[in-house]
Amino acid sequence: MSTVPSAGQAGALYWPVQARRNVGVRGLFAVVLAFLFAYGFLFPGLLTASGFAKFTQSWFPLALVAMAQAILMLTGGISLAIGAMVSLGAVIAATTMTGPLGVAGGAAAVALTGLGIGAATGFIVVRLRLPAIVVTLAGSFIIGGAALLILPRPGGAIPEWLSDLLAGNTPAAFVVLVLIVLLWKLYLATPLGLSLYAAGENPVGAYRSGVPVDGARIAAYAISGLLSTGAGLFVAAQTGSGDPVIGAAFTLNSIAAAVLGGIGFLGGQGTMRGALAGSLLLSLMISVMFFLGFTPVAQYVAQGLIIIGAVAIPQFRKVQQ
Amino acid sequence: MVTRAPLLAARGVSKSFFGNPVLRDVSIALQPGRVHALLGENGAGKSTLINLLSGALRPDGGTIEVDGYTVSRMTPTYARQAGIAVVQQELSLTASLSIAENIGLGAYPKRFGLIDYPELAARAGAACDLVGLHEPLSTPVGHLPLGRRQMVEIAKALYRTPRVLILDEPTSSLSATETKILTDLLERLRSEGIAILYISHRLNEVMTLCQHVTVLKDGTCTADRTLEGTDAAGLVRLMVGRDPGDLFPRWQPSAPPADVISVRKFSAGLMRDVDLDIRAGELLGIGGLVGQGQEDLLLGLYGAIPAGTASATVNGASGLPGGVPKANALGLAYVPADRKREGLHLIHPIIANMMLPAFARLPALKLRSRRAERETARGLAAQLAIKGDLDRPAQALSGGNQQKVALAKWMPHDPLVLLLNDPTRGVDVETKREIYMMLRNFAAAGKAVVLLSSDTPELVHLCDRVAVVREGRIVAMLDRGALSEEAIVSAAMGAEQRKVAA
Amino acid sequence: MTAWKDSAYGRRALTILRSRPFLTVAIVAAVWIAASFASRGFGAYGHLRYLVELGAVIGLVAAGQTFVVIAGGIDLSVAAIVTVSAVSLPLLSWQADPTGVTGILAVLVLTTAIGLVNGLGVALLRVHPMIMTLAMATFLQGLLIIIAGGSAVTAENPVVRWLGNARPAGIPAGVLLWVLVSVIVLTTMHATSFGARIFAMGANSLAAALSGVPVTSTTLAVYGISGFTSGLAGVLVLGMNGQGYVGIGDPYLLASIAAVVLGGTSILGGLGTYAGTIPGAILLVTITALITVVNASPGWRSVMFGSLILGLLLLSGREQARR
Repeated sequence: MSTVPSAGQAGALYWPVQARRNVGVRGLFAVVLAFLFAYGFLFPGLLTASGFAKFTQSWFPLALVAMAQAILMLTGGISLAIGAMVSLGAVIAATTMTGPLGVAGGAAAVALTGLGIGAATGFIVVRLRLPAIVVTLAGSFIIGGAALLILPRPGGAIPEWLSDLLAGNTPAAFVVLVLIVLLWKLYLATPLGLSLYAAGENPVGAYRSGVPVDGARIAAYAISGLLSTGAGLFVAAQTGSGDPVIGAAFTLNSIAAAVLGGIGFLGGQGTMRGALAGSLLLSLMISVMFFLGFTPVAQYVAQGLIIIGAVAIPQFRKVQQ
Repeated sequence: MVTRAPLLAARGVSKSFFGNPVLRDVSIALQPGRVHALLGENGAGKSTLINLLSGALRPDGGTIEVDGYTVSRMTPTYARQAGIAVVQQELSLTASLSIAENIGLGAYPKRFGLIDYPELAARAGAACDLVGLHEPLSTPVGHLPLGRRQMVEIAKALYRTPRVLILDEPTSSLSATETKILTDLLERLRSEGIAILYISHRLNEVMTLCQHVTVLKDGTCTADRTLEGTDAAGLVRLMVGRDPGDLFPRWQPSAPPADVISVRKFSAGLMRDVDLDIRAGELLGIGGLVGQGQEDLLLGLYGAIPAGTASATVNGASGLPGGVPKANALGLAYVPADRKREGLHLIHPIIANMMLPAFARLPALKLRSRRAERETARGLAAQLAIKGDLDRPAQALSGGNQQKVALAKWMPHDPLVLLLNDPTRGVDVETKREIYMMLRNFAAAGKAVVLLSSDTPELVHLCDRVAVVREGRIVAMLDRGALSEEAIVSAAMGAEQRKVAA
Repeated sequence: MTAWKDSAYGRRALTILRSRPFLTVAIVAAVWIAASFASRGFGAYGHLRYLVELGAVIGLVAAGQTFVVIAGGIDLSVAAIVTVSAVSLPLLSWQADPTGVTGILAVLVLTTAIGLVNGLGVALLRVHPMIMTLAMATFLQGLLIIIAGGSAVTAENPVVRWLGNARPAGIPAGVLLWVLVSVIVLTTMHATSFGARIFAMGANSLAAALSGVPVTSTTLAVYGISGFTSGLAGVLVLGMNGQGYVGIGDPYLLASIAAVVLGGTSILGGLGTYAGTIPGAILLVTITALITVVNASPGWRSVMFGSLILGLLLLSGREQARR
């Protein structure tokens, strides 16, 4: 019944808070681990350096778009333009990097485009109060159209050394992903970053507490745009060229990964680590189907079924209780 | 003392919404070291006044003063900087963040642009100790029961070391123990020279805690005086504008009753193995501390959550209804506690809210008759004294009137059993009296009323029997003769006493 | 001067004039008038009739969508269902029935069943509607490629051909079908208990459930209706096109949602009317027609379409703050 906070409690708050966030996703982590073991058992190639590199490369863009979607869903938003943003990122990378701008300039162009379009979308949704789902659906036409204007048919090029670096036999993609996750942790440790949760779950209360709710939400859209076009850059590096419709599948997959990872639609529910685990799970399933020789079409069918099953089963159990 | 400038004051402020005046020329002055009560019925303009004082709204006329100086543009940010903290009725918490992160929200200590977690832990911990919150600071707020969340909200206000503390019905979801902690705390803060504005519908709290009172009625100030020499009846007179009379209708013994609902070994949610008989013509109270499973008892009987039972008869049919439409067909009706989330469709017209149970039970493709709907709704509105245009959205109504609509919608269906979940929470005195009258009349007409309430006097004065619930079980069934506030509270607290002893 | 405003009829007229459906009608009229001055032939009766005929397809898809959105959900599988309907109709047509009616009935049963499955997922498994219907769309896309492959199918069914090409009394059959559906939809929505339940569910499903609204069966019905009207739209589009192929339904996803929102229905559910969706659908085909007149590359067309919808939304689609 001591009224003085113990030094131990006061000194260590950050890590207990982090540990608490694991509670909701433990089951998911267990499933992902089980899948990873099964995968490693079926395809021992995973354990070699190049096998690991290839595996993380197939996961990388999905991980990025899952993060891009999750950050929006945490603020109570959503984007149906993620796929178009990936395409746009890919064609910008493929048309600029071998040109006068060079790799650095091209990467900057990709990043600025992502941030800019994201922020503009955020402004329209947040400040002009239009429903996110409709804005981003209309936005997907504008962004997709822009990608077609830049590169009407697949083409362009990515410098070979960049493709080798990102999508060769080195685990560079994994290292970049770790860096991105660390940056995210850093962002979440800033007042603006943490207020994502409050802005998504209880915007009125957050506003009254002095949280810049609109700012936090617009920032989330900007970061989401950056992650999406970044994923596009990587996809272009993987294929060595740009394709104006290559991102199409990422819209659904980003939502599926985020929802598999326990992110709720109402804002403020879920964690980024969950979304990453969800994207890994989805990526594993796609890889397994590929290796088992499913045709792309059958993959579609199976994917639809798996997503519904994965989302429904935990819900169903909750209802039964 | 008189010459000192008030820490925060409103001078002759007025405010209208859409041309409806809500406040007219109201003044209030919060002095340091004084607990100032703000009283008034629902819709009297209390919330608007708070919002003006805290900068959430701007007055149409009049001024807001801080330390005696007029503030030309009061904003939430300015209010915070001036040391004004508000504990609103609607919590400002985020369920997925920890206690500490919630307390510091919007005012985190920073180091290199990052949140300084050790500093946050120390300061939030200190605020928690003040209000008696001993849960680990890393606990997500979503894991706390409602009463504890309210304490987090208060700790959040204290964290900002306010000079002026405004509390809007802070005790409505607190247990007796928590209320005691809060009362002691406010007493201490007052002695430290903080100005406190306290809003509550519980007059005994106001009488013990406050020194000064401002009473609002229909947007104007009807009293601004010291509390000394006033009694509760006097306060009610000031709020209602006339003699209060008896709040509760006189209790009369009802006819020898017959069981309408009878369950054995009933389990739902937190409730385990409950035997209960509900009789026609009686008002059965359900009491106990907040969150012991009382709500699950009602919802389980109503078929809104899964429930199991060894045997059950409901209005002659055997077995539980097992679904809301079926429960309605058996003559059960339920009025939820949280009228905004569970009771009403705020964006829909009042008339649509009143007619919804009818739409729910009529054949799906039967054509509606707008004329008949309007007649029924007008009748209900007249019966319950709900004034104004019935085409307005329900959110335009005051809390008390919203509660009346939530009750009214069941009336055309003549339910045999009325299950009520805290129907008078946050409802003004006048509406309370109307609701009490209605419930008594209802029981007198041979129907059964089950009244779950967090307001103990209500249970004592209104009910024929009271079942006290603790930890998912009915621990006492008090008959009229044995009913007293002490009996209910001691039965409800049994568990807490045992815990302390262990 | 202002006396008429105070009379009952005056007030009623004012409410109508200020309503969102009327605003959408006004925008359509303004665009039509402006476009017929700018482009010769745009305002010709034949052209406008053609626009309304195209609008019928969107209008049918958006009819189900309006129900779903008002009930608080969303159906992202409508495009796939339209395709399913258009592609599977020739496969389901029964040789022994020369009228082709059984084939159409079979297709409508199929698409309604798909909608019901959506409803089951949303109502019983508690899957979020966006996930459920997106996953359904993915599933159907895969299935369609397996069934139909890449080749187009031709409509031999006489009823379908009639629907797509006939003009009894000068009015296209598709438009007549749309009028019929509109009357039924508007009646169901605003003049039956079922309609009132849908609005209640969309505004606050918990309160609706506690008031005795059978939420599960109503949700099932709403998605079933969406499957049905999408199926009907697929039949019509097959008739108008003469051919069905995978991807034929794709434009109707955004179009249906945009028509609903442009017509003043709240994407958050609980408020709205099909009376606004109707001019919303016509507005959309008008925009598409204008873009076609400009004769730009696919990229520009896509950009213009998205921008115009966004612009119109800014003009009329603002959500009121609600909490």
